[in-house]
This record gives sequence, C-alpha cells and structure tokens, in this order.
Amino acid sequence: MANKVELDSGLFKAAVWSGIALIVAMVIAQGLLMHFIPPPSPALSAEELAQRFIDRRDEIRLGCLIQCIFWSFWATWGIAITVFIRKMERSYPILTYSSIALVGGGYVFFILIPMTWAVIAFRPETLDPSIIQIMNDWVWFDFLFTWPPFALWMVVIGLAIIKDHNVPTLYPRWVAYLNFWCAILIFPAGLIAFFHTGLFAYNGVGAFWIPFAIFFGWMIVMSVTTFQTINRQKEKLTAETVLATA
Amino acid sequence: MIALLRTPATAVWMVLIVATAATWTLGTSHGFGNHTLASAVILLIAFIKVRLVGLYFMELRDAPALLRGLFEAYCAIACTVVIGVFLLA
Amino acid sequence: MNAVSITTESQPPVTVTKKIPGEAGVWIFILGDMTVFTVFFVVYLVERGKNRQVFELSQQTLDKHFGAVNTVFLLISSLLVVLAVRAMRITARHVAQRAIVGAFLCGIAFVVVKVFEYHERIAAHETPSTNGFYLLYFVLTGLHLFHLVIGLAVLIILRSMAGRPALSTNQWAFFEGAACFWHMVDLLWLVLFPLIFLVR
Repeated sequence: MANKVELDSGLFKAAVWSGIALIVAMVIAQGLLMHFIPPPSPALSAEELAQRFIDRRDEIRLGCLIQCIFWSFWATWGIAITVFIRKMERSYPILTYSSIALVGGGYVFFILIPMTWAVIAFRPETLDPSIIQIMNDWVWFDFLFTWPPFALWMVVIGLAIIKDHNVPTLYPRWVAYLNFWCAILIFPAGLIAFFHTGLFAYNGVGAFWIPFAIFFGWMIVMSVTTFQTINRQKEKLTAETVLATA
Repeated sequence: MIALLRTPATAVWMVLIVATAATWTLGTSHGFGNHTLASAVILLIAFIKVRLVGLYFMELRDAPALLRGLFEAYCAIACTVVIGVFLLA
Repeated sequence: MNAVSITTESQPPVTVTKKIPGEAGVWIFILGDMTVFTVFFVVYLVERGKNRQVFELSQQTLDKHFGAVNTVFLLISSLLVVLAVRAMRITARHVAQRAIVGAFLCGIAFVVVKVFEYHERIAAHETPSTNGFYLLYFVLTGLHLFHLVIGLAVLIILRSMAGRPALSTNQWAFFEGAACFWHMVDLLWLVLFPLIFLVR
C-alpha cells in the first residue's frame, strides 16, 4: 500500500483563521478600547500624553490583556504559510528556515506592544510624564520601525512562490509579486525616527496609515489565498488516495 | 548587434532623447515671466515619454487589450490629474 | 491570448499573437507601484500649492544638470535592457550579458550622481527636516533610488540567467518581468525629474 500523505485541513485552516482573529482583536482592543488607532501624535506634550494613560487606565489594561493573547496568533498564522513554503522548496530548506526565524521573531515584537502599555498603565499617576512619553514612543517604534524583518519575510514568501517546483504551483504566481510589492510599500514606516509631525510622523498618513493598511490588507489577502491553497491541496491528496486504492 | 537595434524601440529612444532636450530647454529658459504654461507642457511631454516607454520598451504595444488598456488609462488619468493639480493647487 | 490571422492569396497565414510581457502577476506590482508614485506626485504638487514661495526658492538650489544627466543614464540603460531581451530571444547570450552589464553600469552612474547630489544638499544644511520641499525631494528621489538599487540587484540576477543554456517558461516570464521593472524605474524618473527640478 502506498504511503498516504495526510493534510489535517481543519487544523491548518484554524491556523489561518487565527490570523484573522488577530486583526479583529487588534481593531477592537487597540482601536476601540484603548483608542490607540491611530497613534497619539508624537508632538503631544508629555503631560497630555500621560493624562491619556491615566484617563483610560482600565481600558488600556484590559485591552492589553486581550492583545497579549491575540498577538500570539501571529506565530500560528505565519507558520501555516511556512508549511507551504516547505512544500514549495526541495531538500535544503533555506527559505523555510528563514521563514520560521522571521515569523518567530515577529510575535515577540507584537506582544511587547501591549506588555509595555500595560506596564505604563500599571501606575501611571505615580510616573514622571516624560517616562510615559519615552515608553509610549518606544511602543510605536516597536510597532512601525521594526518593519524590516516583516518585509524580509514577504520577500522570502515571494521567492518561495517564484521558485515553486510544484505543477501547478501551490500559490498563484501573482501572489509572489504582491509580496514583493508590499515589502517595498511598508518601508515608509522607517521614516518615523526623523519626524515629530506631518506625513512621516508615527501618526502620519505616510508612515502609519499606509504601512498599516498595506500590512493588514496583505494579511487578509494571504489568508484568503492560503485557504484556497489548503483546499486545492486537500482535493489533490484526496484524488491521489482514491487513485492509489482503486 | 546592429541588427538587434533595428527595431522601433531604437527610434523611440531617439525621440525620448530629443524630448528630454526639449524639456530641458523649456525648463531652463528664463525668457517668460510666467512659467506656468511651459511647466504644463513639460509635464505633458513627460507623460508622453512615459507612454512611449510603456508601449515600446515594456512591449505593451503587443499586449492583450486589458493590460494595454490599463496602462493607457493610467497615462491618461495620471497626466490629467498631475497637470490639473499643478494648475489648480 | 488572442490570435489574429491575416491570409493573402499565396502566402501562409501570418498570426499576430498578443502576449503579456513577463506574466500577469508582475503587472500588479508595476502598475501598483506606478500608482503609488503618482499619489506622491500629487502630494508634492498639493504641498507646493500651499507653499509656493518656499518651493520655488528651494527648487532653485537644486542642480538641474545632475537630474538631466541622470535622465540620460537611465534612458541609455533602458535601451540596453531592450537590447538584452532581444538578444536573449535569438540566443545571443554574450550580447545579452554585455548589454545587462552596460545597463548596470549606467545604474551605478546614476547612484554616484545621486549620492553627490544629496551630499551637496546636506552640506548646505538642506535636509528633509528643513522644509516641505526638501522633505518631499528626499523622500521621492529616495524612494526612486530604493527602487533603482533593487533594480540593480535584479539586473545581477538577469545577467546570471542570461548565462544559462535555456530558460524555462517561468524563467522567461521572470526575465521579461524584471526588464519591465527596470523600464519602470526609468519611466518614474522621466516624471520625477521635470516635476521636482523643472516645474515652477
């Protein structure tokens, strides 16, 4: 009897759905609850910023608890794609291992965001406002300035798809080009170090909104195409099993 | 190698060089007090050059109607919007 | 693919097939990138509209000659890339490789001029934080330069691909797509240079 290749599509799809859950939770917890979408302006005075943490102390603590949970799903979501990268590569899986490394680093950056805010909101009334300011700045830099490993992962995904040896390819080739494009498009997030106001400040259209929209839009497109890939692979394996046992 | 250059793209290239020279002359002339008209013409020439690069260098001339249509639409819209905003802003 | 057949009395039919240069996916990238840049062009003009004087005065500090020379470098490099693709199609691999190297050198020349240009600005204390004009000047030309550097890396890949005995369908798609990406870098500068340096 031939070796049966099994694909637990239920588990696989749950991993992809965890990424969708991550986005929904972020909108609710970071946006609606904590009022941190968009970011507070870097031009705010330390006192004004500190007041925000004091006023929304409870919402921030709760939102951060929620976010620490949901950012963890970056790992499961990213690894679902990584499994397919493994299938696109042949025996020396350089892209797969790069993918694992980049995904694994990713959730650390994400989870430090709510952790830091929770620390600030722990006893904000006792803190010197300039300490709150630098910790809040740190969080936004952690969110945006750390764009390179994510862009690099997009490039890794794109490369894997371009070099996919499967016929037909696991992902349609246009997804590779979308990844290359998104990798370039999130780079303006790196300009936040240079501006306190305007387009490229960390609350600006160029450095926040565009990379933010591109990144989470990309996650949605990757989720949809990964669902489709799971379905195709499942069908293919089912057909092969039928043939083998016929 | 000369045979390889015997293609419309090379003729287009010479047009692009000439157009660049024309743009340079228009852009660096100090004659007219009001430079608005010259600038609008410069922008128009720029998008004509863009269209030529797309059709002849990127070979969109022989592309399926949808793709070529998208590119032509881009050229038309971008040109209009850019010149429009320049004149109105 | 649509095929149109033209037949004359004594000749066999001549088919004109329409072909996507590269592959469909690459055009998402190229048209998308062109759209993003166009948005930036509009942003530049809107900001200029709000600060006419600042923009006019600052623009005059730029050396137009650098921009013009760079335009010529990119136009030459694009012609060389066209040559390379045509050479690959008749398997004149050495011609293709030399053309690609030529295009690469033109790209390097562009970078050198650009570095010199930026250096002049910074030495004169004109930086992205100085005013709105310099901010957009550095961001727009910087973003373009970023694309050009990526293009240089892609040209290196193309040169090695040109050394192969034969290209698969997918490799051909990538080769042509990459050539189109280089033309896009040229195309964007054809608008950027007059927009930032000459339009007033």
